[in-house]
Amino acid sequence: MEENLSNVEQRLKRYWYTDGIAELIGGGMFVLLGLYFALQEFLGQNSMLGGILQASLALLMIGGAIVSRKLVNALKTRLTYPRTGYVEYQVDERNMRWRGILAAIVAVSVSVLTIIFVRQFQSFDSLVAITGIIVGLILIVLRAKSAGLTRFYVLGLVSLVLGLVLSISGLPNGYSLGLFYGMMGVCFLISGGLTLRRYLIDNPLPAGPRDD
Amino acid sequence: MTDVLRRLTDLDRLIHEPARLLILTILASVASADFLFLQRETGLTKGNLSAHLSKLEEAGYVKIEKTFKGKLPLTVCRLTSAGQKALTQYRQQLQEFINETR
Repeated sequence: MEENLSNVEQRLKRYWYTDGIAELIGGGMFVLLGLYFALQEFLGQNSMLGGILQASLALLMIGGAIVSRKLVNALKTRLTYPRTGYVEYQVDERNMRWRGILAAIVAVSVSVLTIIFVRQFQSFDSLVAITGIIVGLILIVLRAKSAGLTRFYVLGLVSLVLGLVLSISGLPNGYSLGLFYGMMGVCFLISGGLTLRRYLIDNPLPAGPRDD
Repeated sequence: MTDVLRRLTDLDRLIHEPARLLILTILASVASADFLFLQRETGLTKGNLSAHLSKLEEAGYVKIEKTFKGKLPLTVCRLTSAGQKALTQYRQQLQEFINETR
């Protein structure tokens, strides 16, 4: 009984990713993040615009998360819910508040660490490797394992390999980090696009009005 | 053994029906789900699902609301606290029976 219940829970978790929309939007955000790091490298550390870009990373990350959520919901309302139904996931309000605070702390910490790395070491190499490991582990543990989705194992593995390869590539500063996010973003876009295509083929819009 | 069997007869028969148990199990894992989602997950026909949901709503285990998500009309179902309590109790009773007859 316990095992069956956990299967049901896992299937319900998987439903969020069944259409690939979350990956598509996440991929878009990763590509933008890649462009951000590449642009920062291109502009240089000492230019005014580069400084403004560095300082606004936390704001961009929080804003990006909010916009992503809204976009995913809007697309799901248009594409997914009319085809396979609507699900609202359980949210613990207290947890949400703490998660919001935690996300803000992580965003600010990442920004500060990035600035410190750029200023102190003038190299992103170790940062790319660490980023690859963190993103890879998040994909493998929180997505692939908990929801039972095989394609996230592949994406997690790509992240680990890409992070390690770029860390030893010798590419200048932010370009390696920009390339990491950009390439991961493209992988997400491909994975999400293929998943969405398959989902739309397998689940045509039900004919007639919803007479439930 | 007799006592264990007697306790089994105390099981909530409204929940014990497989289709209704599946509906409640799904609703217990989410905040709410709409009719179409439940229909696809349970594999029931519209009429069957509707009948089971009506019984669960009459018992106060499920709350059904007609609402809109954007322009999309939805029939949203959610487990009530009474439904959550009844399902937990049902699972405990069944678990006790399994443990004692193992």
